[in-house]
Amino acid sequence: MEIKQTALAGTLESSDIQIMLSKGADGIKINLDSDVKKQFGTQITAVITEVLQKFEIENANVKAVDKGALDCVIKARTIAAAQRALGTTDKPAWEVL
Amino acid sequence: MPTVATLNLQDKNTFADWRTFLTSLDIHNFQENELTTIDLTIGIYDEAGKLVATGSIAGNILKYIGVCNKDSAKGTYFNTIISELMNHLAQQGIFHLFVFTKLKYAQSFQHVGFHQLAHTTEGALLETGDTNVSTYVQSIPRIADQDKKAIASIVMNANPFTLGHRYLVETAAKANDLVYVFVVNNDVSLFPTAARLQLVQEGTSDLKNVQVVNGADYMVSYATFPAYFLPTPDAAIKYQTTLDARIFKHQIAPALNIRKRYLGSEPLSRTTDIYNQTLKKELPPEIQVVVIPRLTGSTNQVITATQVRQAIRTGQLATIEASVPATTFTFIKSNLQKLQQRIQKGMNIDGN
Repeated sequence: MEIKQTALAGTLESSDIQIMLSKGADGIKINLDSDVKKQFGTQITAVITEVLQKFEIENANVKAVDKGALDCVIKARTIAAAQRALGTTDKPAWEVL
Repeated sequence: MPTVATLNLQDKNTFADWRTFLTSLDIHNFQENELTTIDLTIGIYDEAGKLVATGSIAGNILKYIGVCNKDSAKGTYFNTIISELMNHLAQQGIFHLFVFTKLKYAQSFQHVGFHQLAHTTEGALLETGDTNVSTYVQSIPRIADQDKKAIASIVMNANPFTLGHRYLVETAAKANDLVYVFVVNNDVSLFPTAARLQLVQEGTSDLKNVQVVNGADYMVSYATFPAYFLPTPDAAIKYQTTLDARIFKHQIAPALNIRKRYLGSEPLSRTTDIYNQTLKKELPPEIQVVVIPRLTGSTNQVITATQVRQAIRTGQLATIEASVPATTFTFIKSNLQKLQQRIQKGMNIDGN
């Protein structure tokens, strides 16, 4: 799926993650800011990538600012960002959930 | 629970409250022209109804960010404010944003994903979003072996493109392998950005080694140099032009191998003159500043875009035919009514 427009989901509050998803040309590129990047960076990146792959998004730039989000939160925020970016918010993606 | 609310600064009490709060945090610039650009102000009130944090948006710029951390975990209110403002902007389709801030707060912004573009002793400029200065620089066309060539640059508003601009471009083109002409992007001039870009392109199309590029948010923009568009005290102009020059020097020029920046001498505009002084101070030795004396017209007066705009207002186009390229003149003739209407509606034509 092609990203139609940049989209933002999530907040910068504690235990949340802010995801900005925009058009990319060269695979899925994730730029992650997190206080726990050293410990959980790989895991956070993996969760984001997995969601995007389920949406069949092949090219995207992701700017993620993590404030200690759990995996379920990361997943939820990425789904929200993906649906906004694809312009499909009116069609819940059950198979991804 | 502290609550987030939109602040109506038109309300006298709210405004006084907000101003007192920011003043207590050492923010003192409440000039009319700063305030009128604000699109939205939000704040956080604690249980007692006291304002404990605030932030505003003006276009894609965050302003008047102030947070009192006395009774909260460090960073909580700050993060809430920034994230609320980002969500507001996202709803308007704005994802690329900037902030001017005191140096001591730059780190807080970096902590929520902002990237620092430049700083001086007075403050820093940071950006975040779906594009940034490196994607911008990557998008600029290049020539083969650019690293080994003589590359020069000019930044202009070209409101509109005159023979004075043309002379500056020509002079640079003769002495270099490639000349980038960056056209100011902000759409606050009599000639809209698209028209200014088009006229620069048409007016230089015969010069094969000239590349016309939109200056985006990085050259003389509301983000880097608002004083170019608004009346501002000298000290603020010096600070802003220093940031603008440093962004150019460190973020733009190196990747494009730009070694020279050409300027027209500035006998008339105070703001531009300060800008030129700053560039001369900041850019060397990495980037050589070349000042070209202004081209004088038939009557021995320097050619300025200001005169052209004044002639548009009065409709006396014959007086400027000799000061602009044919392409610009044709454009003015066929759009005269539209341009005059813009002036009548209050477009300031005496500035830059």
